[in-house]
Amino acid sequence: MSGYFLGIDIGSVGSKAVIIDDHRIVASVVVPSGTNYATTAANLKADILKRAGLQTGDIRASAVTGTGGRNVGIEGYHGVIICDARGVNITFPTAKTIIDIGGQGSQIITINEAGQVIDFNASEICATGSARLLQLVARILQVSMDDIGPLSLKAAKPSSFSTSCSVFLETEVITRISQGDKPADILAGIHWSIAEKISAISRGVTLKEDIVIIGGGALDMGLVKSIEEKLGMEALVPDNPRIIAALGAAAIARQ
Amino acid sequence: MENATSDLFFAGIDIGSTMSKAVIMDAEGVVRAYVVGPSGAEHRRRANKLMEDVLQKANLTLDDIAYIISTGYGRVNVPFADKQVTELTCHARGVASLFPDVRTAIDIGGQDAKVLKIRNGKLIDFLTNDKCAAGTGRFLEFAAETLGLDLNEMGHISLQTDMPVKINSPCTIFVQQEIISHLSEGTPLPDILAGVYIAITTRVVKLARQLKVDPPVVFTGGVAKNVGMVKAMETVLGMPVLVPQEPLITGALGAAILARDQAFQMVQKGEYVIHRDKKLGEAIIDYGGKNSR
Repeated sequence: MSGYFLGIDIGSVGSKAVIIDDHRIVASVVVPSGTNYATTAANLKADILKRAGLQTGDIRASAVTGTGGRNVGIEGYHGVIICDARGVNITFPTAKTIIDIGGQGSQIITINEAGQVIDFNASEICATGSARLLQLVARILQVSMDDIGPLSLKAAKPSSFSTSCSVFLETEVITRISQGDKPADILAGIHWSIAEKISAISRGVTLKEDIVIIGGGALDMGLVKSIEEKLGMEALVPDNPRIIAALGAAAIARQ
Repeated sequence: MENATSDLFFAGIDIGSTMSKAVIMDAEGVVRAYVVGPSGAEHRRRANKLMEDVLQKANLTLDDIAYIISTGYGRVNVPFADKQVTELTCHARGVASLFPDVRTAIDIGGQDAKVLKIRNGKLIDFLTNDKCAAGTGRFLEFAAETLGLDLNEMGHISLQTDMPVKINSPCTIFVQQEIISHLSEGTPLPDILAGVYIAITTRVVKLARQLKVDPPVVFTGGVAKNVGMVKAMETVLGMPVLVPQEPLITGALGAAILARDQAFQMVQKGEYVIHRDKKLGEAIIDYGGKNSR
C-alpha cells in the first residue's frame, strides 16, 4: 500500500502524532494530553496534517494507541505494547528489548526480529517508575527538564536515598539540599532510584541486546546512563524517543 | 529509699513519623494522662515538650516516673527514656490490653502501615509497608490538599454515598490528577472521597491478606480516627473492625505497660527503679510551635 499513514498516541501526559509514507517519517507532533482526549486527538490530527501539508483525504489509513486512545473518534485502536514493538522494530531492526519510560509508569517488552512481542512486564501506575519523578525533582531544584541529564552527568558523589516512593523522595531531596548535597549529585541519585525501579520491573523477563529505551524518560541522558549501569548493558535511544508508539501505530495502519 | 510499687508511675512515649504520643500510667495500670502532637522536624525537642506536657496533665514531675520506654520511628531521640522498644512490640501490647481477644491489628500511620497477627496477646507475625505512600496517611493528606478539605470533614462527607468511584491510581502522586478529573466530570464529592478511602484501604488489606485476616480485627493509627476510613475498611475486609477510643496512642500505651512490667520486675529483684539522672534538658523551650494538645 502506498500513500500516507497516520499514527496517534494519546498518553497520560503527552500525545503524539506521526505521519509516514512508504519509507520515512513525514511529520511528527508532540502536545500535552490535556483533559479532553477526544479534543486533543482531533487537534493533533489537524495540526499534523497542516505540518505535513496534507488533507484528510491524503491519509490512506490511521491507527491510534495510548492510555487515552480509546473512544477518541479515531478508528483502529491498538495496544501500546504492540505499537512500541512495531515502532522500535522499524527504527532499530536489531532491537530485542524495549524499555518504555512513560508519564505514569514503565514497561519492558522483549521482541523478536520481526518485531513481534515475546514477553512484557508493566509497572503499576507509580511515579518513581516514570518520568514524573524527574519533573517533581526538577521543580524542587529549579532545573529545566532539558538540563537534568547534562547536569546529572557532572555528579561527583550521587546522593543516596532511603526510599523508593516519590512522595517520600520529595521530602528526602529537600533534606539532602539542606545537608549540602549538590543538585548534580541529587539528580544522579534520583536517576539511580528510577533505574532500580525499572530493573525491578524487568525481573522475570530475559533481557537481550540490543536494548532500546523510549518514552519521555529516554530524553534524559543521565537516566539512560543509570539504566545502562544498573542493567550492565548499553542502550540505544531513537532521535525522538517520545513518538515511537505513534510511529508503530502508523506502521500498523500501513500494513 | 524503699520502692513501694503502688506509688510508682510509668511512661510510654511514641515518636511517630508524623505524630508523637505520650502516656502516663499508674501502678494499677490505669492511664493517668496522655498527649498527642505533631512530631515536627526536631524529634528531641518534641520528645521533651511532649513529656513536659503529659507530666503537667498528670500533675507529676519527671522524678515521679519510675520507668520510661520510648518507641516509634524516632525512639532513639528520646534522651530521657530508660529503654527503647520497637513499635511493633509496643503496639501489639497496647492493642491487646484494650482488646484481649484481638487476632489481627491493622495500623495506618502518617507514613507507613502495619499489619500484626496477634495470638493470646502476643505478636506472632507482621508485615509493614513503608516503601510507598499509597496505603498510608500521606495518601489521604494529598487527597485532602487537592480538595481543600479538612481530613475529618472528608470522612463525614464520604459517608453520604454508597457509590464510591473507582480510583485507578495506586500512586499518591497521580491520585491528585484523578480526583481533579473526576471533579471536572461532575462526579459528586462524596463518591470521590469514598473512592479514595476504598483505594487506600484496598492497598492495606492486600498486605493484610498475606497474613490472613482473622477476626476480631482492631484498626488503629491516626487514619483510624477517620470515619470514612473505618467504613471503607469494613467494606473491603467484609467484616466489622474495632477501633479504640483513642486509636493514635496504642503504641505509647503499650510502651507504658511494658515500662510498668519492667519496673515491677526490677522491684521484685530488689533493684531501685527511681534513679532519675536524666533530665528533660534545656530543649524544653517552646519555640512558638503549635501547642501539642
